[in-house]
Amino acid sequence: MHIPDGFLSPQTYLPAWGVAAVAWAWAGRGLARRLDETLVPRLAMLTALAYALGLIMLPLPGGTSGHALGVAVLALVFGVRLAFLAYSGVLLLQALLFGAGGITALGVNALALGLVGAVVAVALRRLLAGAGDTVAVALAAFVSLQVSALIVALVLGIQPSIAHREDGTPLFFPLGPEITVPAVLLPHLLIGLGEAALTVLVWRHARRKGWVAG
Amino acid sequence: MTRSRACLLAYLVAVIGIGFVHQPLILALALAGALLAAGSLRWRLLRRAVLALLLFNAGVSLAYVIVAGWQGKAVLDALLLINLRVLLLVFLGFWLVERGKPLAALAGWPLLSMIATLAVGQIAVYRRLLDDFRLAFRSRNPLPPRPATLLRHAGAQGSALLDKSLQSAEQTAQAMRSRGAFDV
Repeated sequence: MHIPDGFLSPQTYLPAWGVAAVAWAWAGRGLARRLDETLVPRLAMLTALAYALGLIMLPLPGGTSGHALGVAVLALVFGVRLAFLAYSGVLLLQALLFGAGGITALGVNALALGLVGAVVAVALRRLLAGAGDTVAVALAAFVSLQVSALIVALVLGIQPSIAHREDGTPLFFPLGPEITVPAVLLPHLLIGLGEAALTVLVWRHARRKGWVAG
Repeated sequence: MTRSRACLLAYLVAVIGIGFVHQPLILALALAGALLAAGSLRWRLLRRAVLALLLFNAGVSLAYVIVAGWQGKAVLDALLLINLRVLLLVFLGFWLVERGKPLAALAGWPLLSMIATLAVGQIAVYRRLLDDFRLAFRSRNPLPPRPATLLRHAGAQGSALLDKSLQSAEQTAQAMRSRGAFDV
């Protein structure tokens, strides 16, 4: 559901890049010591899976695309910091190789999808631990996708208000939140079911292999 | 500074600058300039850029035409501005990839570079495995398969994909270990 290049005003993407840079520094601190020849292959495998999921996309009139993310499974298996870094790499590759997303939008996309998606997934799974593993993992994946989609829709929807000519002509993304929110969120309710099912399957695979406790 | 870094820097300056240009004519001239400078790559890159953004921008443009038309607003200026800017940015991105070797440009960030390298390797593994499975499935099903057969195949494929992908990544990681990639 990442935002393409050229839809965001500098008033949006420059501060977002600043916040993302701080978040990347936080996520990358001390990480080199954690990475070894056991963790790295698993991370590479699930990162590539997230990349592949992101390429099966449906363009939405709300200015973005509909697709599963794979962020929740990255976050549940590797934690928020690694998931955020890995998904930022996915976004960078998709932008450069396929023109999906973009460099100007990378900060917003990484924060909304990679960071918020990962935080919501991990927090919800902990919160719902009593409901059973499958339910907790499925709900965590579903809700994290919806929260990321809502943020993307709102960021796009505020563009006409913050960047326009004197006569009101929009300079960047032209549609307001009354269109972007339903246009982005409604398809993602359906996509979220697929994301939840896929996350549970990969989570079980990871647990069978002993990559995660529980 | 390496050539890859210089290309990346020039690209970043250009994309930030483009965000502050709000005249369609200037953006059109910049696009024409980029096309000229891209040399023999220009038409292939332009075609890729147009294909990459066609569905997104057509959807957004159509929605805007309907909404603005309903409100009695002019749409041409906004549509030209937005579509030209997006096309120029995507074109420059593809040009950077062709000329600048983005993985080499990431060399200053070892962690990002390592994850990106591994992910690119995994993408190649996935692509090859999917082709293998598709061909094998077709050879075993001379008649159109039933939905249950398709489902069984998808399940087997998903599981094998994860296992093979992990095996491949482990080999890569061991090769990296032997070259000191994990020494801190």
